[in-house]
Amino acid sequence: MKKMLQVTLGILTAIGGFVDIGDLVANALTGARFGMSLAWVVLVGVFGIILFAEMSGRVGAITGRPVFDLVRERLGVRAGLANLFASFFINFLTVIAEIGGVALALELATSVNYLLWVPIVAVLLWVTIWKIKFESMERLYGLMGLCLLVFAVALWKLGPDWGSLWGDASNPTVPRGEGHPTWIYYAIALFGAAMTPYEVFFFSSGAVEERWTKKDLMLNRANVYIGFPLGAFLSLAIMACSASVLRPRGISVDTLSQVALPVSVALGKLGLAVVLIGFFAATFGAAIETLMSSGYTVAQYFGWQWGKYVAPKQAARFHVVMLVTLLLATMVTLTTIDPVKVTEYSIVLSAAALPLTYLPILVVANDREFMGDKKNSRVTNFFASIYLVIIMVVAVITIPLMLATKAGA
Amino acid sequence: MASVIDAHLHLLDRQIVDRDGRLIGKVDDLELELAPGADYPVVTALLCGPMALGPRLGGRLGVWLVSAARRLRPRGDTDPVRIGFGAVTEVGPSIKLSITVEQAPTLRLEQWCLEKVISRLPGGTREAG
Repeated sequence: MKKMLQVTLGILTAIGGFVDIGDLVANALTGARFGMSLAWVVLVGVFGIILFAEMSGRVGAITGRPVFDLVRERLGVRAGLANLFASFFINFLTVIAEIGGVALALELATSVNYLLWVPIVAVLLWVTIWKIKFESMERLYGLMGLCLLVFAVALWKLGPDWGSLWGDASNPTVPRGEGHPTWIYYAIALFGAAMTPYEVFFFSSGAVEERWTKKDLMLNRANVYIGFPLGAFLSLAIMACSASVLRPRGISVDTLSQVALPVSVALGKLGLAVVLIGFFAATFGAAIETLMSSGYTVAQYFGWQWGKYVAPKQAARFHVVMLVTLLLATMVTLTTIDPVKVTEYSIVLSAAALPLTYLPILVVANDREFMGDKKNSRVTNFFASIYLVIIMVVAVITIPLMLATKAGA
Repeated sequence: MASVIDAHLHLLDRQIVDRDGRLIGKVDDLELELAPGADYPVVTALLCGPMALGPRLGGRLGVWLVSAARRLRPRGDTDPVRIGFGAVTEVGPSIKLSITVEQAPTLRLEQWCLEKVISRLPGGTREAG
């Protein structure tokens, strides 16, 4: 019974935890601009994150070693360090984007300028990371993030032309007036938002934090196989809302309020209130995850004691890395840099950097010495090799495409 | 444990864990000793910390790492932290030791962070996570 509760909670947490500022912006933006013609990317992305998150959780449970620990071991000391710099930088952008997202959600709720909220958000974040237990933290924000399901309710209430939404989605073509490069650029943005590397840094470290063993592989699978697809359902609901409310009116998404607009159109103030709670929870939860990922990556590269399963005084360096990252990210956010723009860049760069994270996971998940009989099955490897090709292609074309399309302008 | 241990594959860059499961550091380098008359060198110790990592990284970054680490040392010496190979009890996904983290002095930066930052924060010295 207790096990069932744990599995249910894990699944619910995964749904809420899947969506962050990147998914919110990317899904709403592409829905408003391209209708449902990029919906297939969400499916490709979620299948990818399922594949690799399951592997990283399994590796964590069996070997007790999280992803970045293995990155250095497999890539060597120099390539590992280069990977650390790249991963840390992209993760840092994501921290900025999430902090900005929390502050923007609070601005929408209070009409107080988001910049005034930024320092308060920073303090709240620190207190949460410093004081609250790992599991409670994850659950609190994961469950609150379920408020975003209001997008599905709104969509149902809006009563869109389901046939044309489905037609757009199942028969993807580049909408008139848009070029192929731009369309592909946004496809990459969506892909990056679904497969953001911090998700596996956090997931695999979480497996160690919660002291998963072989017995918890069931929990791992349930979280990943049920939680993430439902998270993707949420993403598609956001996209469909945008496609049916914003697109016909020619509204493009440059702010967080436009992401919420379809819900207020459909459900009024009450709907908006629920959406804002969802925004807050999703971005705040992700801000915690990205901040902790900054500590995880650095500490795991150097072999320092990390984690919330020990007292802070036993993991002083880990906590200092998180504190410094938070302070720097807060300062950057306060320069009035546009959080939505930072989000767009962070997800695109994440897409470009995917092989750095996913290649080492795949290698270790196949290591018999490490994994014994829990190494990857042939089916897993079949799909993983396909994804390896996809992420390699994405990594190569992203930056040229970004320059050619002027970042999707 | 693998029957043949490849120093590069099974030892270098692996996580070192103490008797109680606490993380000590990485195997940043190895100490080899060629006894007089012996045909091949023997691994005598795991080396860890910036003094071992810096030279292995090489380049300007490696030099910088070593000089930064030297500032944390009372006498400015550059000997890396040495863990005798005799303390190793298991070579697996991580390297397990028979000693505790306190007996392996890899914690200069940890100490510095603890003294200058963490212990000054409210709740920084609590026992629980």
